[in-house]
Amino acid sequence: MELLNKIFVAPFADMIAAPDFLMQVLWEGLVSGVLYSLIALGFVLIFRSSRIFNFAQGIMVVFAALTLVGLHEMGVPAWISVALTLGVMFLLAVTIERVVLRPLVGQPDIILFMATIGITLFLIGFGEIIFGGENKVMITSELGIPTGDIVLEPFGGLLILQHIDITAVLVAATLVVSLLLFLNKTRMGRAIRALGDDHQAALSVGISLQTIWVLVWFIAGIIALVTGIAWGSRAGVSFALEVIAYKALPVLMLGGLESITGAIIGGLMIGMLEKLFEIYWGAPLLGGNTESWFAYVLALVVLLFRPQGLFGEKIIERV
Amino acid sequence: MKTFRTLALATAVSLVGVGAMAEGIFAPNLTYRTGPFAATGIPLMDGQKDYMTMLNERDGGIGGVPIMFEECETGYSTEKGVECYERTKANAVVTQPWSTGITLQVLPKTNTDMIPILAPGYGFSPMANGKVFQWAFNPPASYWDAASMIVQDIAAGDLGSLNGKKIALLHLDHPFGKEPIPVLEAMAAEYGFELVLIPVGLKEMQNQSAQWLQIRKERPDNVVMWGWGAMNAGAITEAVKTKYPMDQFIGVWWSGHDADLKQVGEAGKGYKSISWSMPQPDAPLLADLKTHVYDKGMSEAEDTNAVFYQRGLVISMILAEAIAKAQEIHGTGEINAAQLRDGLENLDISEARLEELGMSGMVPPFSTSCDNHTGHSGAWMLEWDGEKFVQASDLLMADAAFIAPLEAEKSAEYAEANAPWPVNESCN
Repeated sequence: MELLNKIFVAPFADMIAAPDFLMQVLWEGLVSGVLYSLIALGFVLIFRSSRIFNFAQGIMVVFAALTLVGLHEMGVPAWISVALTLGVMFLLAVTIERVVLRPLVGQPDIILFMATIGITLFLIGFGEIIFGGENKVMITSELGIPTGDIVLEPFGGLLILQHIDITAVLVAATLVVSLLLFLNKTRMGRAIRALGDDHQAALSVGISLQTIWVLVWFIAGIIALVTGIAWGSRAGVSFALEVIAYKALPVLMLGGLESITGAIIGGLMIGMLEKLFEIYWGAPLLGGNTESWFAYVLALVVLLFRPQGLFGEKIIERV
Repeated sequence: MKTFRTLALATAVSLVGVGAMAEGIFAPNLTYRTGPFAATGIPLMDGQKDYMTMLNERDGGIGGVPIMFEECETGYSTEKGVECYERTKANAVVTQPWSTGITLQVLPKTNTDMIPILAPGYGFSPMANGKVFQWAFNPPASYWDAASMIVQDIAAGDLGSLNGKKIALLHLDHPFGKEPIPVLEAMAAEYGFELVLIPVGLKEMQNQSAQWLQIRKERPDNVVMWGWGAMNAGAITEAVKTKYPMDQFIGVWWSGHDADLKQVGEAGKGYKSISWSMPQPDAPLLADLKTHVYDKGMSEAEDTNAVFYQRGLVISMILAEAIAKAQEIHGTGEINAAQLRDGLENLDISEARLEELGMSGMVPPFSTSCDNHTGHSGAWMLEWDGEKFVQASDLLMADAAFIAPLEAEKSAEYAEANAPWPVNESCN
């Protein structure tokens, strides 16, 4: 009986008793969710255009953030460091297309996936040689990102909104809208979508595979930099940031690998639901740390009913 | 192809067999300079390496025998750590596992492999019981010592005042993070405070908003942190963000890293960390290091006054003193693992000896014996002043009377679970 109370009554009673705290939980979940969506977007873009599951997305976040901080430490002004970092990410995209992807055109998907694992290992080693493994401070204030907070008192309680989190949400939302506009309203964007829909047909009408690959890897690099700044502002820049990319995997399972909408909604759902579950059910009933598995369980439940994910395309193959 | 094969073979031999071929004492270190925990590992391992380099450069090693101090990278992964142990054990006089997870894995092998484990300030706390853990050493203080000293500091000397209080343990969800739980639970039962366990998963280290929401919900009087690597900076940042009072937030000795606090700077003022080592920028040892290591370009250290770097120096000093003691006991320079075990069991790091080493004040004096493999040196409380850690207490001592029975109980349980487990009853 007590167990049933803890599952079905106590959590909701807590929510009603402290609505300000519930709002804080939802806000923190929203911020995490936006950031998960950002990482997932990097995966989706590359998968849509090339059917490659980019295992290197996580390390690209680390690499972009370390490059930014590293350049600034060398005395380069903050915003010039951002521009130079984007240049480095572009060079990385060109190199990956030339050295890794182009020789593997026509190979099975699993080979391309393995190649991205190779890219990951290379970037870990290369990054550690160049930047070292120590935790670095993100240049938040130098970039003009506000660091204070807004304290509200809804229902006579307390709600703290960090400026940095508000900025992250706004920047991520702007980036997502820009990406959607780019993909839907521009010639290059339509070319990316065409390549995702039908490789052969896209190639037959003159869309350049090489150009599109460089472009999507560069966009993934831009997303990695924004993600790196947002996460790095929270707890510093180190190779531990790579681990955060694994949080995007259940987002992709939930939202579908090809769907940009799925990445956004999947990220937001997981971010908010995992926080709610952890605070109101996980910690009291299971001792906490449910965030490490909750998202996967949720994604698996969805897959049972929709194997292509919530927004993935249903694949019908003729035998 | 033949050239390639020859090259590959030569490389393999040079990587794996150095300890076997060269003359000297082979002391491998299972490092983690890469991965999510590298931020903690790098300064510690730089300190360890620099101290041994200095001994080799200044004195030609220890007792005239060079020290082959080699690193095997684990990335703090238990699996890789066990691989490193297996790869290096043939010629090693010691293993330094550098993770409680790796320590727990290699611990059962020590009786058969006869290689001493040196785990300064980490590992399984009952390793203090030398009767049961004949090959394991965790000087100068154990995690249970740390927990005891932290609780005493919270109680300001009056343990009765803890009755009715709530203490949260924010810990890495890993063998290391779980290590203080038995002693804290026992203390909670004894002194009447409530212990709230708040685990942090490896993937959540940099985003601990859920854990700090729980802290806000539970409203503990104090938060004790058992963090490592990226978890520390993540927790301290969230504490600042959620406006948790910093003077009620205390970390274990691996949660007192300068670089982690620099993430928040002034906002972290008041945060405390228990520490069995104390940075001494003016220690004569530093002058020797400058002459024999830094000026020769043989060090990679970035901040030689940082808490963790200087703790690394102390850790290698403990090993060096054990080697010297083993040489003295057995009358030979080229000691083996069994002889080093005797050295580790007869350490006497007195005030006078620290003075001779140019390390006064860097670690409290301590000694080990047959049945005391920890030394229980005590520790100081350090406090972040906004820029650096400063001393915030006199030397604190763990409650030995409270911890000893628990050590005996848990070590007996371990021996029983791993039977047949040899116990040295001749220890007094």
